[in-house]
Amino acid sequence: MKALTRPGLRPDLYFEEEQKLWREMLAGDVTAYEHLIDRTYDLLFHYGTKFNSDRELIKDCIQDVFLSVWEKRNALNPEIPPKPYLLASLRRRLHRLASRLRMDCMDYYNESDIVFDIEFSVEYQLIESENDRLVASRMTEMLNELPKRQKEAVFLRFYNDMEREEIAMVMDIQPQSVSNLLQEAFKFIKSHWKAIVSLALTLPF
Amino acid sequence: MDHYRDFSLGEFVWDKPFRSWVLSPTREEDETWQSWLDANPDKRETVERARQLVLSIRPANASLSSPEKRKALERIVERLEVRGPEVVESLHLPWYAGRPARIAAMLVLLAGLAWIFWLRHQPKAIGYDQLVAAANVEMRETVNKTAHPLTVPLEDGSRITLDPGSKMSYPAHFSSSRHGGARHTGARREVFLSGKAFFDIAKDPSRPFFVYANELVTKVLGTSFTIRSYTNEREVSVAVKTGKVAVFSREDPDATEKQSSRELTGVVIEPNQQVVFVRKTVKITKSLVPEPEVVANAGAAPHFEFDEAPVSAVFSALQSAYGIEIIYDKNIMDECPVTATLTEMSLYEKLDLICKAVDASYKSIDGRIVVEGKGCRNN
Repeated sequence: MKALTRPGLRPDLYFEEEQKLWREMLAGDVTAYEHLIDRTYDLLFHYGTKFNSDRELIKDCIQDVFLSVWEKRNALNPEIPPKPYLLASLRRRLHRLASRLRMDCMDYYNESDIVFDIEFSVEYQLIESENDRLVASRMTEMLNELPKRQKEAVFLRFYNDMEREEIAMVMDIQPQSVSNLLQEAFKFIKSHWKAIVSLALTLPF
Repeated sequence: MDHYRDFSLGEFVWDKPFRSWVLSPTREEDETWQSWLDANPDKRETVERARQLVLSIRPANASLSSPEKRKALERIVERLEVRGPEVVESLHLPWYAGRPARIAAMLVLLAGLAWIFWLRHQPKAIGYDQLVAAANVEMRETVNKTAHPLTVPLEDGSRITLDPGSKMSYPAHFSSSRHGGARHTGARREVFLSGKAFFDIAKDPSRPFFVYANELVTKVLGTSFTIRSYTNEREVSVAVKTGKVAVFSREDPDATEKQSSRELTGVVIEPNQQVVFVRKTVKITKSLVPEPEVVANAGAAPHFEFDEAPVSAVFSALQSAYGIEIIYDKNIMDECPVTATLTEMSLYEKLDLICKAVDASYKSIDGRIVVEGKGCRNN
């Protein structure tokens, strides 16, 4: 029971394993390095494509992130959580790249290319009742209407199971700002939730 | 967990521990939530709805195929080798430190790890020998060492036909209603099978008949069916010829309840349906037998000759002849007249022909036939 009421406690085995790979990798273990890439690659790729739709560019950036991690391995802290660190590096790199490109060819790349954007969608076949399909579709619309930084915080927290400090690290902001972003997102969701449900349902809720 | 009592649908959907249970449950979380649900059955519906919402609303992710990922991964490691200081040193390294040797060593290591992983994650198979050993009454065993099917009559009038190479254990005497096992509410007839056999079971509702075949338990009241359960095969299957049987897995947490229930619970299968248990994934699926036959007691000899008949008449004739439910949209399809002689064809040949005639297609889903067509209004 306790495990569920204490916020922030999660199935630790998985995370410990990642931390272990990270430590071994920093100590120079190539096999651990490859395992770590294998485990985090999908997340990094999906996260990267939220900033830029150029797949090859994303893959190049991820490659640079991992190569620089290897080069700097003697200087890196073995106790920082690897996932947020890697995401943060990728995010920085994408930003840097975009600003360089912006300088080179002013019109082609503009501000919007480096902003996180994500589209939520519904898999309707997973929902049994017609009402709930309607609820799901409205809820998705609402998620898609959130401001982009709130969306990013929601994505990292609820779809990648990250803690406040980890999100702060990835987005390069204060933990307090993460809380604010999430709070605003939920204020928005809650204020529309009643309307959604009363629209979709005539049953008592 | 008490605060969950007052949770609304929306609160569940955005509750992190709840999402964590839905999206990647650990055994511990599963137990906690199941026991909470047992204590709060009125929240079951809300929780189920929230679960579906959590599962269905996802960020749209760009697809990344595994070959693409592998290629990207290899590219990183290659670059590493080029950049790394090892390259310079490699001239002076002994053979076993060279790159091919290291790759080979790594492959051997990975293969070893994979093997250990595979060994540890094999679901424990439940076999005939353990089952028979666990029975606490005097057992008889019949092994069919001949090259022909062997029929074994049992004292209750049931007849069991063993395929060559199959064996069966059964008690010398079935317990009667009076002397039923102390733990169980009623008497039962229990046999154990390894291999393949056809069962023709005498009706006796007061003593249900159980067949234990590896992981599957089949419960019947009186009927005939085939079980295929070889210890070295990956699947265990039960196919019904007449009547109804219920099948469930031994591992099913509700197995004891299902066994003692007066009704048939579990996966209930009817004539021409079968249940296949995939041992590796511990998954039970229901489907149609490969070659459905006309059910023996389908009333008068079914006739399959149609002259300008509405398609619904054809389907209902097939439905009662084979005892298989056929699902189709009556409103759309019923305007399609069918003229055909369908005798001496298998069920699937018949369906092929009808569907071709009315421009429809059919699928076999969950032991039923689903027909989809656009109708014939324009003809």
